[in-house]
Amino acid sequence: MRSPVLPLTWHLTRSSGRRGLQSHLLSAAAAAAGALILLTLLSAHLGSGTRADRTAWRTPDAVSAAQATAIQTLGTTYVNHRPVTVVSLAQLPNRPDTPAPPGLDRFPAPGRTYLSPALANLMDRLPAGQLANRFPAKTDYGTLGEAGLGAPEELVAVVGRTPDDPAITRAPEGDALNTLAARARVSGFTGTKPSMFTSFDQQAAVLGGALLVVPVIVLASAAGRLGVARREQRLAALRLAGATPRQILAMTGVESAAVGLAGGLLGAVAYTLLLPVLTWVPYGIGTWYGELWVGLPWLLAVVAAVAVLTSVSAVSTLRGVARSPLGVAQQADPRRTRLIRLVLFVAIGLYVTVTAHGGGLSTGQSLALIVLVYGAFWMLGPWVVDMLGRLLSRFARRPATLLAARRLSDDPRGAWRTVSGLVLAGLVAGFFTVGQVGIGGYDCPGQVAVRADHGKPRELAVQARELLAKARVKASVETASADVWDGILSGSKGVVVHVRGGQEQIDTATTALSSLSPGNLPFTEDYVNAEGDITTRVIGEMGLAVLALGFLVAAASAGLTAAATVLDRRRVYGLLRLAGTPLKVLDRARMRETALPLVVLAGGTTATGIYAGMKVNEMFHMETDSSGAVRLALCVALGAATMFAALAGSRPLLRKVTAERAQDPD
Amino acid sequence: MSTVLAGNGLIKKYGTTNALAGVDVQVAERESLAIMGPSGSGKSTLLHTLAGIIRPDRGQVLLRGERSEMEIPPAEGWGRVDHWGENRLSALRRKRFGFVFQFGQLLPELPAEENVALPLMLEGVPRRQAVQRARRWFAPLGLAGLEHRRPGQLSGGQAQRVAIARALAVEPDVVFADEPTGALDQSTGEEVIRLLTSVTRDQGAALVMVTHDAEVAAHCDRVLQVRDGRVSGYSQYTVA
Ligand SMILES: Nc1ncnc2c1ncn2[C@@H]1O[C@H](COP(=O)(O)OP(=O)(O)O)[C@@H](O)[C@H]1O
Ligand SMILES: [Mg+2]
Repeated sequence: MRSPVLPLTWHLTRSSGRRGLQSHLLSAAAAAAGALILLTLLSAHLGSGTRADRTAWRTPDAVSAAQATAIQTLGTTYVNHRPVTVVSLAQLPNRPDTPAPPGLDRFPAPGRTYLSPALANLMDRLPAGQLANRFPAKTDYGTLGEAGLGAPEELVAVVGRTPDDPAITRAPEGDALNTLAARARVSGFTGTKPSMFTSFDQQAAVLGGALLVVPVIVLASAAGRLGVARREQRLAALRLAGATPRQILAMTGVESAAVGLAGGLLGAVAYTLLLPVLTWVPYGIGTWYGELWVGLPWLLAVVAAVAVLTSVSAVSTLRGVARSPLGVAQQADPRRTRLIRLVLFVAIGLYVTVTAHGGGLSTGQSLALIVLVYGAFWMLGPWVVDMLGRLLSRFARRPATLLAARRLSDDPRGAWRTVSGLVLAGLVAGFFTVGQVGIGGYDCPGQVAVRADHGKPRELAVQARELLAKARVKASVETASADVWDGILSGSKGVVVHVRGGQEQIDTATTALSSLSPGNLPFTEDYVNAEGDITTRVIGEMGLAVLALGFLVAAASAGLTAAATVLDRRRVYGLLRLAGTPLKVLDRARMRETALPLVVLAGGTTATGIYAGMKVNEMFHMETDSSGAVRLALCVALGAATMFAALAGSRPLLRKVTAERAQDPD
Repeated sequence: MSTVLAGNGLIKKYGTTNALAGVDVQVAERESLAIMGPSGSGKSTLLHTLAGIIRPDRGQVLLRGERSEMEIPPAEGWGRVDHWGENRLSALRRKRFGFVFQFGQLLPELPAEENVALPLMLEGVPRRQAVQRARRWFAPLGLAGLEHRRPGQLSGGQAQRVAIARALAVEPDVVFADEPTGALDQSTGEEVIRLLTSVTRDQGAALVMVTHDAEVAAHCDRVLQVRDGRVSGYSQYTVA
């Protein structure tokens, strides 16, 4: 026998009218937004990986002296706080030809210099004394193509040299900073280690994804719930007409999966259309070439996941109706939350604190910890809501507060879901705005240093003074011996130049000194703090994105949930209004049932976030920036305001459904 | 027997449907009036119009014991309910009327006693007092011991009795009931109606009840027959 479920579902969908269509559209829009956000994060993650891989040729795998066909050195020099990656290549004589590196069509001949377009552009704009003179060739540059670059903004130069050039022979062989400066014998350009400047992008994208995935799930399921609220009455009628609960669940599942699928596809289309725009969004090392496209399999997987989420949440919402033919979504017992939630929360909290305190966690471990913290709050949230509800219902004096309180302890999970997005965003906000994640830098403004691995610092200092005088840079030059650890040279012997004047003077000094100790490019504060600065910047960018998206998603799902709640209870609200209950009281109760847990929980998580941020600062011996707290307050206030705006958005709906004539089946 | 609520020449149209096509009706103090008629005949529309929920297109709704203010008299001491604004009507329904609907009028998360106390709290009665006053209704309605149950934990008949308690808690002048037993089985409905009529009378309130069940209507003092928006007949007074 053919199952009647599909035809019935189709009939139900078609006959649900403009109202039904509206709710379908709203659910689909939420699903679309969820899919769009997931796809965007996924492409940030995958794209970061792809472009990081494209930088790996700069540090290829070293081979033995016997196999080597070329020698490659890597150096990093800064201009106006931006890193310039300098790769020097020298073909070894009497060895097979080394293949061309990515982005070039042949292996660079000695004396040839190739520039990335962004670097060529910058050279045109800056006086030669600030940048161009750092490179051997002064004219006739070649161009380094896309294949050798991570991002269009990357500043990269490839210099062809002879193997006996001091710039090659005296370059430091792999050391502590070997991702910024290195020398190796190579036979090709296959490497697995991406540029340090790209390496954190992907990790931060995972972090962002992990933080946003929960709010997005909440959004998708809010979409599912809304759809059900609209259809509930109709389904109850079907139930009265003799449909089995199973059939009703199947119908709901099919219908909301279709809506979720449509929304997910819409999100996927929006993502595809937005790709060119996303390509312009700078993240980490810069904007993007074409690597943001996630590929069809991922695209379909995300769409399917969104559809499944919508459907599952719709079906689980509808369970109650399927049981009670009258369609009154009444549950016999309040769903009590148990103390075990608090116990588990404390246990997880202790575990995380202890584990994090040790430091030295890998990305995977940090991710696991973040997921754990999230999970812990997810477990604690309903319990706190329940407690809050019980406490308030004991002391409430006004009807609106009493209604809100009773509702909180009646369905703590539902109330928690509404506020969870913002509450968890508060946690993230607290952490990112206060925690100056990163390694505390050296403080050496205005200094330019040159290592003297070969030669005496004293002699270098004399030459340095001449070079600086010729370049008209006002500076004092001092020598440093190998036992000075707290300076810019941190344990290497060399010269340190204290430049008077601004950034231009520093760049000029850096340029003037670039030939001072061949193989050892001069470096500045930017260079020694590179790793910490990158980490801080990328986390900051991701933190901001997570915050903005998190608040938006949270507000959207709160709005949807509020609308669904109004629809769920339109009968009782409508009848209460007929009996003279002021709409204001119902509305105030509605607002309070969100505002109260929001204030308590978001306050709590934000404080936790601040605490964690301060702990991180402590671990890295950094001062906590008090402006972070101000920013945080602004963020949370803004988020809460958005949330209440979204709640207020369902006020007209409340007015409308309560004004409708109570539909008593006659 | 003095009239407490009256509708004169009530007309209400929905598009081309004449839901009320000129209805005259008087409700006397303490009497119980059943409104009967087939489905779609205008029973609910009439009840809603008398209760100040729907404004009639034509005709008057008069309520005794209201200051007339700027209203054109028929008489001092009568309010032209059909002239009032939404806020005043809402307050009127809250203070002087009580309502019992077919089902689903109780807030599912409030215990029974708080559902009953809600209208009192809305009137500014402190919570503790409101709940105490609400509890007094439980025994007479056969609900003793169910004060802390939530609506989901009550049977249909019990829930309707809680609804009756809530309607009576504010000590209204008129109780309106629209198919109050529509969702109940025969014997439970019978019991609910018996309690509704007797407790309302004891309280000193009038009862206006819509039903299409003649047995239910038989519990009332008087029956008003409605057909196609018109009064098609009154049954006799049965009150002594
Ligand atoms: N809000 C409305 N909009 C349109 N038509 C309505 C509305 N309310 C009632 N009606 C129509 O008015 C007539 C009387 O309705 P009602 O008073 O509910 O009848 P009863 O309660 O006797 O079944 C019916 O034909 C009904 O369809
Ligand atoms: Mg009716």
